Amino acid sequence: MTELLAQLVTWINVPVNVLGKALFGFIAVVPGWLSNTIISAVAGVVLLVIFKYTSNQRAIGKVRDDIKAHMLALKLFKDSISVTLRAQGRVFRGAFLLLFYSIRPMLFMIVPVVLLLSQLGLWYQSRPLLRKEEALVTMKLSGQADAALPEVGVEEANAFEIVTGPVRVAAKREVVWQMKALEEGEHTMRFRIGEAQVEKEFVVGEGFNQLSTKRPGWKWTEILMHPKEEPFGPDSPVQSISIDYPDRSSWTSGTDWWVVYFFIASMVFALLFKPVFKVRI
Amino acid sequence: MAGKRNKIDRREFLKGSAAAAVAFGAGLALNPVYGGTGRVRGKGKRVIVVGVDGMDPRLSERLMDAGKLPNFEKLRRQGGFSVLGTSIPPQSPVAWANFINGAGPGSHGIFDFIHRHPEKQCVPFFAMAETLPGAGYWEVGDYRLQLDFWPFNHKPPATVLKRQGTPFWDYLDEAKIYSTFYDLPSNYPPSESQYGYHRCLAGMGTPDMLGTYGTYQHFSEDGPLRTKDEGGGKRSMLFFENETAHGKIIGPPNTFLVKPEDTAVDFTVHRDTDANAALIEIQKHRILLRQGQWSRWIKLDFEMAIPGPNKHISGICRFYLQQVRENFRLYVSPVNSDPSDSALKLTEPPEFIKEVSNRLDLFYTTGFQEDHKALSNKVFTDEEFRSQATYVLQERLALLDYALENYDDGLLFFYFSSTDLQSHMFWWDSDEKHPVRSSGEAKKYFGDIQQLYGKMDEVLGMILSRYGDKATIFVMSDHGFANFKRQFNVNTWLRENGYLYPPDARSVLADVDWARTKAYGLGINGLYINLKGREIYGTVEPGAEYEFYVDELAAKLEAVTDENGRRVIHKAHRADKDYSGPATALAPDLIIGYRRDYRASWDTCLGGMGGKILYDNDSAWSADHCADAAEVPGVLFSNKPIAASSPALIDLAPTILTEFGLGVPSSMVGRNILKT
Repeated sequence: MTELLAQLVTWINVPVNVLGKALFGFIAVVPGWLSNTIISAVAGVVLLVIFKYTSNQRAIGKVRDDIKAHMLALKLFKDSISVTLRAQGRVFRGAFLLLFYSIRPMLFMIVPVVLLLSQLGLWYQSRPLLRKEEALVTMKLSGQADAALPEVGVEEANAFEIVTGPVRVAAKREVVWQMKALEEGEHTMRFRIGEAQVEKEFVVGEGFNQLSTKRPGWKWTEILMHPKEEPFGPDSPVQSISIDYPDRSSWTSGTDWWVVYFFIASMVFALLFKPVFKVRI
Repeated sequence: MAGKRNKIDRREFLKGSAAAAVAFGAGLALNPVYGGTGRVRGKGKRVIVVGVDGMDPRLSERLMDAGKLPNFEKLRRQGGFSVLGTSIPPQSPVAWANFINGAGPGSHGIFDFIHRHPEKQCVPFFAMAETLPGAGYWEVGDYRLQLDFWPFNHKPPATVLKRQGTPFWDYLDEAKIYSTFYDLPSNYPPSESQYGYHRCLAGMGTPDMLGTYGTYQHFSEDGPLRTKDEGGGKRSMLFFENETAHGKIIGPPNTFLVKPEDTAVDFTVHRDTDANAALIEIQKHRILLRQGQWSRWIKLDFEMAIPGPNKHISGICRFYLQQVRENFRLYVSPVNSDPSDSALKLTEPPEFIKEVSNRLDLFYTTGFQEDHKALSNKVFTDEEFRSQATYVLQERLALLDYALENYDDGLLFFYFSSTDLQSHMFWWDSDEKHPVRSSGEAKKYFGDIQQLYGKMDEVLGMILSRYGDKATIFVMSDHGFANFKRQFNVNTWLRENGYLYPPDARSVLADVDWARTKAYGLGINGLYINLKGREIYGTVEPGAEYEFYVDELAAKLEAVTDENGRRVIHKAHRADKDYSGPATALAPDLIIGYRRDYRASWDTCLGGMGGKILYDNDSAWSADHCADAAEVPGVLFSNKPIAASSPALIDLAPTILTEFGLGVPSSMVGRNILKT
């Protein structure tokens, strides 16, 4: 099952990457706060419309009316314990029903939202290396924990220089290098593992750029979270190669905070457009 | 004053930015404000003071004569050079407090690195600041809660600045003249600015996160099984299994517990002996180091268990991988307070440190940055100490760039510790045998000190080129330097001469018979009479008996000679003659002023005794300045001719105030040295 999911996500990532590059290419040329605000606004409105057409609007409307009525009852009959308790119970039931009615639209939305977030993560989660900046490159190897580590090397290139390594971490079956970026642009690192050759892309520059922090192995969750590069197959001697790109510092489009900002801003825009599209949430 | 100017004031600009941030509260990202956009201002006049701790007049003159300090030489030719009288005793905390108050120790109450509580007989404490334990708390299970509000009004523990009197910047502050100090000694925690025109980054005296003046942590395969404290450091063992080992970095103690425990952060080391390198994993950081490599600053999050959500305190440290094969050795710098999120008050105003950190990121925040303890304890080799000290200087030069970029007018003070702490370890101005180095090595490292003076000359050149004709510039030191060849144990001498009992006493903190003891030594230069009514077990009556012992001890001390017949002590100063002012309560009765080459023994500082009175210094700490004030004066350079004869540290504050057109307060003893 997991094998099938891994294959499925790999296939899905191909068109999503093409679409993501086309739709979000403008992130590279506008300020981070602006791009995330625009994307949040559009996403908020689109998700609102999806919600409208995938949810039971009539039932939701009825529940909301019911809640309103019982809130009114709470106000009017606050001297009557029995009415108050009954009204509170109905309000809670209403809240629960609203949650229940949102399950179906959420099931419709969850896949596109996760794909959207994984695409946005490529832009916002980290920043590219600057020239002369250093980063760790970690290769996780397949195989038994107690098996000897194979010979591993990196092909020299003008774009980078290996400062330290390879350092073999036997306990974790990892090989680690400290790499120094030398040339701006999108580059490829080529590794040798015994007879095999594998690649990992890396980016040097300023501003916003699509960054693949990890070339994943054959795990569907990892492939979903790191969609840009083709995953290593199940028989590959390598499980993954990751680069510790620096954090991007910003409350709106920086590491981790971009997600918080995205959810808040998309909710705000969804609420703002709720009356326009006549959606009941 | 500020409002009359057309240029945008830095503080106003920051306030404006804060307002804009609120207005764009929806989350607009604002760029930090610094670097030329805001300027510190002060009545159009500029005074720049560069404090070069320990810069010695003899060596300076020698290097100027040899043409190695062209910028200093230029000032000397213009009449802007003088030997600068230092404090009694010439210890940095005392000397810098003299500079700050424009008056002697009687005004500021700092007489030595170490003071004692006479009401507890002689319990020592650090003179510059003291952490008071606090009063009142509630015990809730394992925790103690201090609620510092009504109706509980518990007093939490607090670190208080012990320096008394009015610092000279308070007068500038009152006159609305901006002053900014970087790494100012003897001012931790930094004193508050009443009018908001004073900013200060605290220097010497600022503790690390363990509350000490700097405690490194050292991990090695041959270290002790249980963490062992050594003066200024902790040693622990690392045990490797499958080339992986685990250790703990000790952090600040959790004082919210009834029984305070140290916080700690776990780390894992994976080594690759073939690559001669190791990967360190600590919290979210992964650090790859090859043998002989330093890491950048690493932020550590120390978690303190308290009732409710745990408290998080941020500290920073650097790793240095000393050795991988045979005996793995890893040095961890003292855990400094994180300047980007400091739990300590490092600056006045408190947010100043964040402004600096926004620009310079992370840097040393403890007062003593060069890890001389690591060298003294043989954790560092000479080269390793030099590399660490060089890094400190680089950081400080970056801080100087920041200081100059953000300076427009008013007073700018900048302090360099490198000339002091590197001199303690590398100065050896003699052909005689060095305590721990060969003659060649001693020469080589003394050459480094001379190059360091050259670096200071470059700094002066840069400041002169930018402000030579726009500012009054002073380069000054708090004292000079001398070789430290021989140690004198004051308490052993007192014991051997019948002033301290019993004859087999080992320490004034442990086994002294106070009923028979007349005097004791504590600190580097202090000698105290065991005075009735002051010391809790005092035996010497005030008045004639006190006078007798003070005079007798002073005369006998000044007569002490070494094996070669050389006098050891230049002068034993009577505090009641040399000190005046309102803050003399904790002053020693005699301040022992040693001749060059001599100093109090290491044991003396905390009251220890041994078999010998005089013996060789066998420490890497091979030079010192805790001698007599006349033996180790400082230097003063200025781009204005120095008119006064024999200027001293206490003259600088009055001179600076006069430069800004202010009067000299009556609390100051010094005078304006730029005017005859």
